[in-house]
Amino acid sequence: MNMKKMFFIAVIAFTVNVHAQDKYFTKSGSISFQSKSPLEKIEAHNKSVTSVLDTKTGNFQFAVLMKGFEFEKALMQEHFNENYVESHKFPKAEFKGQVVNNNDINYTKDGSYTAKVKGKLTIHGETKDVETTGTVMVKGGKLLTSSIFNIQLSDYKVEIPKIVKENISNNVKIIVDCSLEPLKG
Amino acid sequence: MFTKKIIVISAAVAVMAGGIYGYSEYNRKPANLERVRPDVQVSAIELIKTFEDNEQDANAKFLDKVISVKGKIKSVEKNDKGYYTVILGEKEIMSSVRCSMDSVHQQKAAGLTAGTEITMKGACTGYNADELLGSDVILNRCVVSK
Repeated sequence: MNMKKMFFIAVIAFTVNVHAQDKYFTKSGSISFQSKSPLEKIEAHNKSVTSVLDTKTGNFQFAVLMKGFEFEKALMQEHFNENYVESHKFPKAEFKGQVVNNNDINYTKDGSYTAKVKGKLTIHGETKDVETTGTVMVKGGKLLTSSIFNIQLSDYKVEIPKIVKENISNNVKIIVDCSLEPLKG
Repeated sequence: MFTKKIIVISAAVAVMAGGIYGYSEYNRKPANLERVRPDVQVSAIELIKTFEDNEQDANAKFLDKVISVKGKIKSVEKNDKGYYTVILGEKEIMSSVRCSMDSVHQQKAAGLTAGTEITMKGACTGYNADELLGSDVILNRCVVSK
């Protein structure tokens, strides 16, 4: 009777343990954005992106501090913050959404899976519905997520002055790369 | 005649100077913080607490400033792309100060170990409040302070 009880408890404990890795996260994810125009290519990188993926529900989120975007030219970084995204007013950009085809991904088996991502992207205080197709690579207990969002700055009320319309394109490519580890506890 | 020459030359020099200034300002790279004097000196614990208590007040004090922060290393992380982040704080407290290393100074973080007291210098980019993951004060372009 005792042995049976202990065995039963052990099985439950094991099962609970195996499913304990529901949420995966990172605080050092990377977001790069690029804007190409006939006159100039603008590029910036942020290495402190936080992201969480709930493998059970497919819930996927990431957040990034705008002031953390690093440009090659200091003046560009200053204008980006002060004039374009007004980071003193809107310090954070966020995405909250879903991996729509979550059931197609086997998070316990190493491999590369296509992930259809849909959700709400908030930049400069404006929220828009976005969707894209990315990849989730399951490798050695980590999830390497990669997705590209193509956005129009005007959708987020980011104004480009007429004088620099040739230098700065309204179309921006946002590349989100996050290597996620299991969230313990 | 002579004065006219002076005026023309002065004007030309002024235009040239303006041009050189404009060109160098346009191409100015963000400062390497190694040689920059910090605007504020603070302990990691105090920095975290100031943001936790009142983010707006903390922003006024620290945002965009070069901060010299002293604290205990919680951990040193290296992400997939090889970028190092030195995390300062106390183990019992979820919140930390995340010091994202300057790309030129990455290797200096490689030898650091958890538990060591250290002073880091970086540009404060803000506070990332997160209930699930713990809130962090994030510094960019960090260097190990001497």
